Amino acid sequence: MNGWHGKILRVDLTNQKTSVEDIDPKIARDYLGGRGWAIHYLYNEVDPMVEPLDPENKLIFATGPLTATSAPTGNRYMVVTKSPLTGALAHSNSGGDFPTWMKRTGFDLFIFEGKAEKPVYLWVNEDEVEIRSAEHLWGKDVPDTTDTLLAATNPKAKVACIGPAGENLALMAAIMNDKDRAAARSGVGAVMGSKNLKGVVAYGRKNPVFAEEKKMRELSIKIAKEVGADMLAGSSLREYGTAYVPQVTNTLGILPTRNWQTGVFEGVDTIDGPTLTEKYLIKPKPCYRCPIACGRLTEVPDGPYAGKGEGPEYETISAFGSGCGVDNLAAVTKANYWCNELGLDTISAGMTIAAAMEMYEKGIIPEEDIGQPLRFGDADAMIEMVQKIAYREGFGDALAEGSYRLADKYGHPEIAVTTRKQEFPGYDPRGSQGMGLLYATSNKGASHMEGDVAYEEVFGVPIKEDPLSTDGKAELVARFQNAFTLIDASGLCVFLAVRYVFSADRMIWPVRLSQLMEYTTGLTYTPKEVLDAADRVYTLERLFLLKAGSTEDTLPPRMLNEPLPEGPAKGHVNRLDDMLPEFYKERGWDENGWPTEEKLAALGITK
Amino acid sequence: MKISVKLIATYRELLPEGTQGNKIEIDVPEGTKVSDIMAQFDVPQDDSSVIVVNGLTVTLSTILVEGDEVSAFSAIAGG
Repeated sequence: MNGWHGKILRVDLTNQKTSVEDIDPKIARDYLGGRGWAIHYLYNEVDPMVEPLDPENKLIFATGPLTATSAPTGNRYMVVTKSPLTGALAHSNSGGDFPTWMKRTGFDLFIFEGKAEKPVYLWVNEDEVEIRSAEHLWGKDVPDTTDTLLAATNPKAKVACIGPAGENLALMAAIMNDKDRAAARSGVGAVMGSKNLKGVVAYGRKNPVFAEEKKMRELSIKIAKEVGADMLAGSSLREYGTAYVPQVTNTLGILPTRNWQTGVFEGVDTIDGPTLTEKYLIKPKPCYRCPIACGRLTEVPDGPYAGKGEGPEYETISAFGSGCGVDNLAAVTKANYWCNELGLDTISAGMTIAAAMEMYEKGIIPEEDIGQPLRFGDADAMIEMVQKIAYREGFGDALAEGSYRLADKYGHPEIAVTTRKQEFPGYDPRGSQGMGLLYATSNKGASHMEGDVAYEEVFGVPIKEDPLSTDGKAELVARFQNAFTLIDASGLCVFLAVRYVFSADRMIWPVRLSQLMEYTTGLTYTPKEVLDAADRVYTLERLFLLKAGSTEDTLPPRMLNEPLPEGPAKGHVNRLDDMLPEFYKERGWDENGWPTEEKLAALGITK
Repeated sequence: MKISVKLIATYRELLPEGTQGNKIEIDVPEGTKVSDIMAQFDVPQDDSSVIVVNGLTVTLSTILVEGDEVSAFSAIAGG
């Protein structure tokens, strides 16, 4: 095969055995790679009703055909499994170096099955594959684990691992790679922990072969030059990382503040990108071969929040900053460092603490349960809670279950701002209508990474849409869901993809992305064909979700019934009912949200 | 009449030297349009910019009123 290796590494943790198999070429083409191949295996091999932390669940690491290629930002992988947080599908994306190194081992996918009796790690050095003891690593944080594993294998290798949060089955535990990058969402780190799998080390030199080397190189260079010119001209992403976004969302009145009680934060000027760049930025840190470099290597040099690491990005700022009512960027950055070191999703961790703060202030959670006050704006308490979550220590045990289960435990599930029990990312859907439809219908629970129509509603990429309007949003969300599925399957990063490899019209047509797929794989892929394949992937994910019993596409009461109290979106709720029926039609689903027989037949999916 | 102009992220550089933060208050004549303000601050008036007034979607020909806040930033992917 070209582009793909066509090889799957299967790791039976229960019996400590590994095996290699080839992928069916038709499945390879029809499901694109990455997230697409992963759902094919998950759907066919895992009962959707399985308990997510049971050994019967499987954990899949998946690279795409463009991972480890010359295509700019071809450095991503996906972690796919059944989520313990949502009870639905998890597909979490990460960049950095590890995904490229994983692809260079000569395998496209690693599938982890069963459960090791004692802690282990996997060492993949091309065809030499070993399951080794990790008992000496259990309890160690992410940086320590990473350094120890590199010393024990090959310092030039790359590591993905869990920290204490994953070991302790926190439902918001991430899988960290290269120390500071995260396949963060939906508790994938808890699934890894449940399998007693502490880490994965990858090294290899098996670069994928391109079907059309010259065309691939020429198009890659052309795209890289365009990005480079934009960066030279001055790019907010390069200058500030995504930390420039709080000013944007605050201006639109959709910056989540104090657990979504409002969309305007009075402290925004102290937690934004320019502040980060001026006070704490050491340098931008790119993922492998990325011309954008939105990552932030930072240091808080002194004071109570001193530390060094990566971040924060926008989502982290909106969760730990405005979300928790904290206007201290050093504290937000410190919370981010802790999450990286302990292996936690910053969105769910921050937003769960925010929900606890609201319940504490309203007298719903008594102080004796927490062991201390937990008010909005209390940065020290917030940071302490992060550590307690990772170790499930004291009140951290309740927080580690996520905001929905926490609020439900105290009899107030309406305070949790989640869909499918997963915390919202930082765009309030009352002032960003399409995002509400996206969160309600996302296969992985609330997520911006599954079809981020904020590109158009908020950021004007490729064109600006009115965020307060519901007109045409059903079609837009469906298109973006397929487009993002395609990006995830390919192995590219969304930050590059929407702007540089799709057409610059409202419905973003994957012109160059289909060319990259063709040049890499040597197969015919028109823009329509790659979008149809993405539709197939998305629909199969939807079937897994529905069969797991997660059938309700809705938003929490605050979004549907409590209007935003101030700002540009004042008085608005999300008008989901105006969009959902049209969305189902757009996707070829019936009135209950199930893909119709005709739709499944057209996509070649057998139920 | 007085209006304010907020230029976010890289567009901050288009504000007059010495401006504190990302916002400035200015006096403009009645009838001033969004496009006039954008021209005054050299903000590109095409799809490369996102321009809102009081956080709401507008056209470049929208006429401003006393107290309006015009905000602009470079259209780019977010977080």
